[in-house]
Amino acid sequence: MNPLCKPVEHINRRAFLKGTLATAAGGAFLNFGSLFNSDSIAAEAKKLGKKCILLWMNGGASQIDTFDMKPGTDNAGPFRPINTKVSGMPVCEYLPKVAQHADKLAVIRSMKTSEPDHPGGIMSMHTGYRPAVNVPYPEIGAMVAKFNGPADSDLPSCVHLGGAGYGGGGGAGFLGPKFQPFSVGRDGRLPSFTTPYLKADSEQRRNDLLRFMEQDAAKESSAEPFEAHRLAKEKAWRLLQAKGVFDASQEWPKYRDLYGDTEFGRGCMMARRLIEAGVAFVEVGQENYDSHADNFTVHKATLSVLDPGWSGLMTDLKDRGLLDDTLIIWMGEVGRTPQINNRVGRDHYINGWTVVLAGGGTKGGMVYGATNANGVGVKDDPVSEGDLFATIFTALGINPRAKHYVGPRPITAAPEKSKVVKEVLA
Amino acid sequence: MRFVSYPTLLLTASVVLTSSTVRADETPLRQLIDAEVKAVWQRENVTPAPAASDAAFLRRIYLDLVGTIPTAAEAREFLADKDADKRAKLIDKLLDDPRYAEQQMNVWDQVLFGRRPPDSDLTQRREGFQKWLREKFAKNEPYDRWVRELLQAEGWTSEGPTMYFAQYKNDPESAATAVSRIFLGTQLQCARCHDHPFDKWKQVDFYGLAGFLVRQTFVEGNQNGKRHYLLVEKSSGEVLFSGPAAEQKPGKKGDPVPARYLGGDLLQEPPLPAGFKEPELKGIKTVQKPLFSRKQKLAEWITAADNPYFAKAISNRIWAQFMGKGLVDPVDDLRDNRPASHPKLFQAVHEQLVAQKFDLKWLVRELVNSQAYQLSVSGAVTDASPRFYERSRVRPLSAEEIMASFRSATGFDDAVKAAGGNPATTKTPEATYFLPYFGEPTNGRGDFQASLNEHLFLNNSGSLRQSMIQPRKGNLADRLLTSKEAWEERVDELFLSVLTRLPREQERKKFVEYLTADKQAGAAIEDAIWVLLNTAEFRFNH
Amino acid sequence: MFDKATLAWTLPWQDDWVTAVTFIGNTRKLAAGNRKGQILLWDLPEKPSGDAPVPVRRLDGHTNEVTRLLSTPDGKYLISASYDHSIRIWDMEAKPAGNEEIILDARTRAEVAKKAGSKAPPPAPGVKVDVQPAERVVALHKEWVLGLSMSRDGATLLSGDDAGEVVLWNRAEAKETRRWRIKGWAFAVAVSPDAQLALVSERFPLVFTPADQRNAVKIWDLTTGQVKHDLSAQFKMYIGSAAFSPDGKQVVIGHAGETERGKLFLIDAETGKKVREYAGHMGGITDVQFSADGKFLLSTGRDTVVRVWNVEDTKQVAELGKSRGGQFKDFLHALALTEDQRWLAAGDMVGQVLVYSA
Repeated sequence: MNPLCKPVEHINRRAFLKGTLATAAGGAFLNFGSLFNSDSIAAEAKKLGKKCILLWMNGGASQIDTFDMKPGTDNAGPFRPINTKVSGMPVCEYLPKVAQHADKLAVIRSMKTSEPDHPGGIMSMHTGYRPAVNVPYPEIGAMVAKFNGPADSDLPSCVHLGGAGYGGGGGAGFLGPKFQPFSVGRDGRLPSFTTPYLKADSEQRRNDLLRFMEQDAAKESSAEPFEAHRLAKEKAWRLLQAKGVFDASQEWPKYRDLYGDTEFGRGCMMARRLIEAGVAFVEVGQENYDSHADNFTVHKATLSVLDPGWSGLMTDLKDRGLLDDTLIIWMGEVGRTPQINNRVGRDHYINGWTVVLAGGGTKGGMVYGATNANGVGVKDDPVSEGDLFATIFTALGINPRAKHYVGPRPITAAPEKSKVVKEVLA
Repeated sequence: MRFVSYPTLLLTASVVLTSSTVRADETPLRQLIDAEVKAVWQRENVTPAPAASDAAFLRRIYLDLVGTIPTAAEAREFLADKDADKRAKLIDKLLDDPRYAEQQMNVWDQVLFGRRPPDSDLTQRREGFQKWLREKFAKNEPYDRWVRELLQAEGWTSEGPTMYFAQYKNDPESAATAVSRIFLGTQLQCARCHDHPFDKWKQVDFYGLAGFLVRQTFVEGNQNGKRHYLLVEKSSGEVLFSGPAAEQKPGKKGDPVPARYLGGDLLQEPPLPAGFKEPELKGIKTVQKPLFSRKQKLAEWITAADNPYFAKAISNRIWAQFMGKGLVDPVDDLRDNRPASHPKLFQAVHEQLVAQKFDLKWLVRELVNSQAYQLSVSGAVTDASPRFYERSRVRPLSAEEIMASFRSATGFDDAVKAAGGNPATTKTPEATYFLPYFGEPTNGRGDFQASLNEHLFLNNSGSLRQSMIQPRKGNLADRLLTSKEAWEERVDELFLSVLTRLPREQERKKFVEYLTADKQAGAAIEDAIWVLLNTAEFRFNH
Repeated sequence: MFDKATLAWTLPWQDDWVTAVTFIGNTRKLAAGNRKGQILLWDLPEKPSGDAPVPVRRLDGHTNEVTRLLSTPDGKYLISASYDHSIRIWDMEAKPAGNEEIILDARTRAEVAKKAGSKAPPPAPGVKVDVQPAERVVALHKEWVLGLSMSRDGATLLSGDDAGEVVLWNRAEAKETRRWRIKGWAFAVAVSPDAQLALVSERFPLVFTPADQRNAVKIWDLTTGQVKHDLSAQFKMYIGSAAFSPDGKQVVIGHAGETERGKLFLIDAETGKKVREYAGHMGGITDVQFSADGKFLLSTGRDTVVRVWNVEDTKQVAELGKSRGGQFKDFLHALALTEDQRWLAAGDMVGQVLVYSA
């Protein structure tokens, strides 16, 4: 009966029909979400409904201490590889549980990217593009939300549990605030302003008065922003109806051992809950990787947190039959230097580092690309951030060439000349 | 300075200079606007919306000119005024209001910096820049003059216009992109990596322009105990160009590119003296002048009355600020091959602006006095900013406007005064949430899409509720609660305070019912205020 | 005395970083371990002159970084702890199992060759050393053994690993007499000379997520197995080294890690109260010990300097070596002092052992 409760698609479809949009103050000229030729692609991807969980290793995890080990070289460090059921894919001894999932991992060892520092790296490894002053590229979560998110849901389509944080990865960029990542705590706690200060019946009465006002006003003008505002208000109310999904206290004791009793472990379980509830994209952040000093103690500690979290997520998704439709990405903004510095640390490295894909749309049990014998530089098959994003989008059923217009300029989902690494796709 | 590659434009420009002063006296621009807009309605068979009511006009003009909604008292006074010329008089009054300078400063601050400029630790401390800019609008200094000053900025980033370039320190390419986009309405960023696919710009145009800015140097120092930079221009240094980005190889060094006016000649400059060595800049505290200033040449060229883009770009931008869509859309992408929606009108606007010596206040006055600006928002068109200006545009309030309007609507400042405080120095409660949730990109740029965070905040912020919405001595809720007037009168006051209009009959009835139902009056009043603050009608300028 | 100490020799060992050093008993026999898990022995000459002495023996067995080296007071045994999870006991009177030629200065040779324009470094000759296996491999730990400490009589040892296992054991049979688990990793462990008390510092090295931090410093009563003093509230920092005074009344701890001001703190073992502190290191402290007479503290760390402190008045009496330039320096991992307090050695990240004589 509620006249305001129209599908979100309604507003979206009208947005498709528009070209470039005006700017009142006229700084940048963003036409949020206006896409002509990707409408049908979005519909197609929705049928596939692939979800995505990004395990974001904030600061940059060390490839040579995890998935691209170089035992016996000067760069090796004190960690030792253990063999997995996949030949040619030894894994660090401190990832024993992840190692048991080796047959589901696609390890890309030849990342060669362009942004050596954190802000640029966080941005480019969230967007697939180098940061630009004039184009606010959307981060991957916003893209997945747009293409694969449900047309109408009480929950936001893109949720961050820690990780790149507000805007650090680019946010919704030119896709517009509808796809703005919704950030909750690292362990899934809801952020501010999600607890009503009124009792339910009082709030209902207040909200009905607002609905009365809006209903009346809707007759006055058909201007689209009014309608968008009203829909967002309804959506904010509905989120609170659905917020129970963020309360994992009942379920946690049962899963604590599987995921590991850490914030990150809890975040991983929350990611699974959200995916089950229909959220298209969840980013779970893990901190502490930026080990310019004491790389080995730091990594040994972080890996001890990562191992149960990540493997628990894989196991849980598999048990629930969700792994084939959920892509798990393991990456950070940079790799770490093969050389060990004189602070027993490893610095940022972009000329040969590792990203791991698992689950939805990818082929498991394989290694793509290679670095040189001592880990310095890419030996075979370099993969840029653009290539990686083209591959990820393809795995998710999103056309990497889908265009969005930013002013007059068409921007493809992944950079125009990026190549899809078909070898890692299922 | 010559524009050899633009003979036709030169010709046009010279015609303008001789004839337009005369023309400006003949037909005021506001009439020309209405004639041209009307002509297109007829051609396109478009039915325009009726004229805006006094109330709608009042709210719109306050927000556009002074960045806030009027108080209930101001609204009552204007609505009661019988003077047929009251709109024009109000416009004149608001154009002279000190808040006009503040509002235009805010708009331009966003144009020039955006919400998240690079090196935010430094650039967020741009009070000096904002003060400088505010004064320009307060004095109504001609646009070409203050832009020239901005482009020639030097000295400490703590004062004057210098902070603008600090966003792009060590990045002359980005500085060139921004300068050309904002002041010339040209999109050069494509040409940074390859020749522009749809426009005439080549990579050498881009790097040639960057050549004017490459000698800017930021010397780190300290002002008032904070990190600041001394901006100086060196006498040497060139942009290096190494060909298309796709052909880059590691370790490849580029060749120096000479400075070149956009689409025009190479910069003529004296050679450096033999054996010239750049003086040491580290630690210097005062500006040192280059032997020859490229920035000065660039500033002169950009702001010249006969620059082929400068007057067009600013005309289009101001037009879009008040009318919604630029006459050339998007607002900062002027191209030879992209006609204006109303070509004659576009020409008249920028020619007359040149004749008026870049008097922006004159242009604003003409725009907002036009009938086209003063149409109502009703009608079937769904676009936020209709193509043919057949009804008023709908733009979200900026974060600054939202905060100011919240204060005005809820009587926050009155409560501050009642408590013995000074509103001018009292920060808006919850500004740290207003800014991110309303700041971008719903600050008047581009299309509007509502964000979830904005509504969660408005719905559930207890602190917002306590500081602004609940009764506090002197504020709106308190006034309504303690008033002895009939509830009908109080509902009128509520609507005038928040929505700058009287309630419709059924609204008045409904609200009186709500306020007199069997719950606490204070709680009901609070709800009623909250409801109006949360309407779409409040969220936008329309 | 220490304030007059001079660098006697720099012993090159360029295979890898030198991570542990000790003197054997009351002799001038010096043992050092490195990041690869190798251990070398040198016999230092009586006088600090002439060419740097060459090593005489290599102890083979560890496969990962040697973290601590200790000698029994009688000089009969060397005990080593390692990242390879093992502790090894070496008979200092054992006959060699054979000998091998090793090259100590491969990096220097390569640099010389490069300067001379030749591609390959000059080949051997290297140095001929005896090789020897461990007498016993002690498998009390399943993770990196970070801390190792010994009672005055050399009979009791305390070791700790980064799984948080702390083990008290007797050397003769390598048999554990007490074991407990702490919440963080055991970074520094020290047992009192009479083996009645232990100080253990705990840490989980994740700095950016407060929820993960598990820093603690505790003094344990080894007879009861209970915490005697919990000093955690006072020392919310990374404590990386600890040592009891020869009389057992005090214990010193060192602030480690990336700090720019690594301080030593002297604690009264009985009361648990801080007695004094010693400030001067420009980086985190990696190793600390008392001189045999208990009058001095010696410490080293990330500022590449060995500092000697007067225990009583907290004044620094000597500074051996210079802080190396640059924002980040190589660091010294460990130091050792002879019982007669005439010789001092420090293990250097650069791949050398610095020997000072006083």
